[in-house]
Amino acid sequence: MGPRPHLNPYLAGVLLGLVLLASFLTLGVGLGASAGIARAAASIQSCFMPQHVADSPYFGAWGQDPLRYYLVFMFAGTLLGGLVSAIASRRIQLQIERGPTASRTRRIALAVTGGVLAGFASRLASGCTSGQGLTGGAMLASGSLLFLAAMFAGGYAVAWFVRRQWL
Amino acid sequence: MIATLFGHDALGTGAAFALSLLIGFGFGFALEQAGFGSSRRLAGIFYFRDMTVLKVMFTAMVTAMLGLQLALSLGIVTADQIYFLPSVYGAQIVGGLIFGVGFVLSSWCPGTAAVGLASGRVDALIFLGGAAAGSALFNELYGIITPLYTWGDSGIRFAWQALGMSAPVFGLIFSSVAVAAFWGAEWIERKTAGTGSYLGTPFLQAFSAAILAAALAVALLPPAPPAGAAASADAPAETRMLEGIEAGADHIEPEELADRLMAGDPTLILVDIRTPGEFKAFHIRGAVNVAAPDLPAFLEPHKNRGTIVLYSNGMTHPAQVRDALARMGFSNAYLLTDGLQGFLNTVLKPASLRSAPLPETQAAQVNAWRAFFGSDAPAAPPGTVAPADVPPLVETIWLQDHLERADLRIIDLRPQPAYNSGHIPGSVRMDPEHFRGSIGGVSSMLLPADMIARHLGLLGITPQTTVILVPSDKLHDATLAAIALERAGHIRFAILDGGWEQWAAENRPVDTRLPSIEATDYPAASNADRFTVDYRTVLAHSQSRTAILLDVRPTDFFSGAKSDEARPGHIPGAINRPLTLDLSTNHAVVRFKPQAELADAYARLIPSKDSPLVVSCRTGHQASQTYFVLRHLLGYRRIQYYDAGWSEWASRPELPIETGTQ
Repeated sequence: MGPRPHLNPYLAGVLLGLVLLASFLTLGVGLGASAGIARAAASIQSCFMPQHVADSPYFGAWGQDPLRYYLVFMFAGTLLGGLVSAIASRRIQLQIERGPTASRTRRIALAVTGGVLAGFASRLASGCTSGQGLTGGAMLASGSLLFLAAMFAGGYAVAWFVRRQWL
Repeated sequence: MIATLFGHDALGTGAAFALSLLIGFGFGFALEQAGFGSSRRLAGIFYFRDMTVLKVMFTAMVTAMLGLQLALSLGIVTADQIYFLPSVYGAQIVGGLIFGVGFVLSSWCPGTAAVGLASGRVDALIFLGGAAAGSALFNELYGIITPLYTWGDSGIRFAWQALGMSAPVFGLIFSSVAVAAFWGAEWIERKTAGTGSYLGTPFLQAFSAAILAAALAVALLPPAPPAGAAASADAPAETRMLEGIEAGADHIEPEELADRLMAGDPTLILVDIRTPGEFKAFHIRGAVNVAAPDLPAFLEPHKNRGTIVLYSNGMTHPAQVRDALARMGFSNAYLLTDGLQGFLNTVLKPASLRSAPLPETQAAQVNAWRAFFGSDAPAAPPGTVAPADVPPLVETIWLQDHLERADLRIIDLRPQPAYNSGHIPGSVRMDPEHFRGSIGGVSSMLLPADMIARHLGLLGITPQTTVILVPSDKLHDATLAAIALERAGHIRFAILDGGWEQWAAENRPVDTRLPSIEATDYPAASNADRFTVDYRTVLAHSQSRTAILLDVRPTDFFSGAKSDEARPGHIPGAINRPLTLDLSTNHAVVRFKPQAELADAYARLIPSKDSPLVVSCRTGHQASQTYFVLRHLLGYRRIQYYDAGWSEWASRPELPIETGTQ
C-alpha cells in the first residue's frame, strides 16, 4: 500500500488553526518550534563547555537546565504528533529528499547552510515560521506580519539561485 | 472566563509541560497531515508549483485570529491572559529576511523539520543540526548583535492599530485577502503545474464563504463597552470639566489603564508629559512623550475621540495640562491617578512586595501586568523608584523565604575565601572597599556616584533591585556598602540581621556555586548624595557650633591617647560615641542593639530628630554604621557624613584640634 493522500490543505489549515487557538486559550501563548531547538543546542553545548554556556549572556540566562521549558516539550510533542500522523498515513520513508537533478552533497550542503541561517535568524527575530509567523500573524502583531513578509521576500530573492535543488 | 497558564505565571510548571506536549502533538499531527513532512512540498511555494504552504498557513492564521477575536469579544478570555508578541521591527525584518533565505536553501523550517525527521527525512535531521548550530552561533555573537536584536523595539503593536482601524475590521480585510490568495494560489498551480484542483470547486466556494461570513460575524459583534464615564455632550466645557472632577471621572485608575493597554485598546492615547530624559529612562509601555506646549497640535486628531490619558511623576502638572486642554474643548483628557508613582505601586510592584497579601486571582493579575509592562523594565530614575518594602534590617528567615525572588540581589561582603567555601545561594561577593578609593590625595574616600553605579551594574543590579547586604561580624562593612548605594541613588537595600554568622548558626542553605549575573547599565544619580560634607563644612560647624559633631572612633583615639594619624585628638567640639556601643555580640553573632535601647541612648546626645549632625571617624568606614543607625533605624533626618574623617583632618595642619575627653 502506498502513502495515503494528504489532507485537503484548507482543512489541514483549519486543524492547525484550531491547535493554535487551543494553545492561546489554555497555555495563553502560541506555538513555537525554534526555541526548542535553541534550548537543545544550549543543553548539548553545556555537556562540553558548561562554564562557557553558563557565562554566556543569551544561553546563560536560561539557567542550569535549559530544557525545563514549555516550548521544549512542545517540540517533543511536535515530533511525536508528526510520527503518529506519518505512521497512520504510511508516509515514513528514510531518504534525503531532493530534486531529480540535485546531488546528495548539494542537498545536504544546502540543508545545513539553511539550517544555520534559520537557527540564527529565529533567535534574532525571537521566533520562526511558527512562533512569529503563525502565532504573531494570528495575533495581527505588526512586527510578526513584517517578519512573514520579510521571510517570503528573502526566500523569493534567492529561490532562483538554488532552483536546481528541486527543479 | 478562561484563566490561562500564562495568566497564572504557570508556564514553568509540570502541568504546562504536559499541556505543551499535547498541543505540540496536535501541531505535529496537523503539519504532517498537511504534507509538511516533505521538503519538496515546502519548497513548492518558492517556485509557484505547490502553494500548499500558503493555503495551510493563511487558513491557520485566519482560523486562530477569528477564534481569538471571538473569545476576546465574548469575554471568554481577557487580553491579559494572553502573551502578545512584542514588535521589534528591526530584528524581525532582518531576522525574517535571513530566515527566508535559510528556509529556501534548506526547504525546511523548525516545526516542519521536526515532522520531516519523524517521517524519516535525513535532510530534516541535517537542517535541525544546522539550526542548533545557528542558535549557538547567535549566542556567541549576542554581545555584538544586541543592538540589532533590540532594534526597533516598540512593545506590543498591532497592524490594525497602525492603520487606525479596529481589530475586527482589519480581521475582515485580512480574511478577504486570504480568500483572494487561496483563489490566486489555485490559479497559479493550475497554470504552472496543471494542478490547482480546488479552483472553482463548490468546496472552495463554500470554504471562502464560510471564512468571510465568520469574519463578518466577528466584526459585527458589539465591541466591549468603552471604559470611563462620558460626560453629557451639550454642557459647556468648563461645567463638564467641573462635573467630571466632582465625580472623579477625570481620573483613570492605574489598573484600568494597565488592562486597556494590555488589551491593545486603539482608542487610548497615553501621553507622558515629563522631560525626554525621564521618558527615556523609564516610561509606561505604550506611552508617547510630548512636551506640554506641543500637546494641542499633537492631540487635535484625538479631540473628543477615544480616551487621552496624561501622566507625569505626580498629579499637579497633568491636572494643569488637562485643564488647559479642557478649555480648548477637549472633553476626553484624563489623569492617571497618582501618576507614574501610582502606576508603579499599583501595577508594577510585585505581589510579594505588597504590604497586604493579595488574593490569588489578584496576584495572577499583577504577574500578568508585570509580564506585560516589564518587571525588568529599563532602570527608572531614582525619583520614581518606590523605596524597598523591606525594613532596613531583614531576618534570616525572611531572606530564606525570598531567595527565589528575581528582584533581589544578595551581596556577600565577607572575604573571598570565606565566600568561596560557602555562601547564601545566589549571593555575589563584593569587597566593601571596592566602593572606595583615593580622591584628591585623600585615601579611603567613597567613589563618585558614577563609579559606584558601574559596580552596581556589574553586579546585575537595577534601581528596582532590592539589595540585601550580608556582612560578617563587621556590621560596618554592610553600612559602608549601604552608604555607597545611597550615594549612587539606590534606595532599595537592607542589611541581613545577624549577617552571615546568624545564617550559618541556623544551618540555613549554603551554596558554593557562583551565580550567573547579567550586567546592567545602572543609571548614576549624580545628585543623590546630599549627605557627604567636606572639612570646610565641618570646620564651619565646629567654629559656630551649628551642628553636633559625632565622632564614633574608640575613645582612646578620640582623646588622643592613641593615634595612627598625623596628629592625635579630635575635631574641636566633637562628642564621642564609639560605634561598638551600638552593637551586641552573642556567640560570634554581632547585631545592632534593640531599637528602643539605641533610641534612648541617642536621645541623650541629640536633642531632636531634626537636629543637624555630622558623623565621622578615621576614614568614614565606622561612621557609616552610626549613619545607618541614626538614619535608617532611628529616623534622624539631618545627618551629614564627613567621609574623609580624622585621617584628612589630622593631616591639614591649618585645622584646629582638641585632645582629651569632654
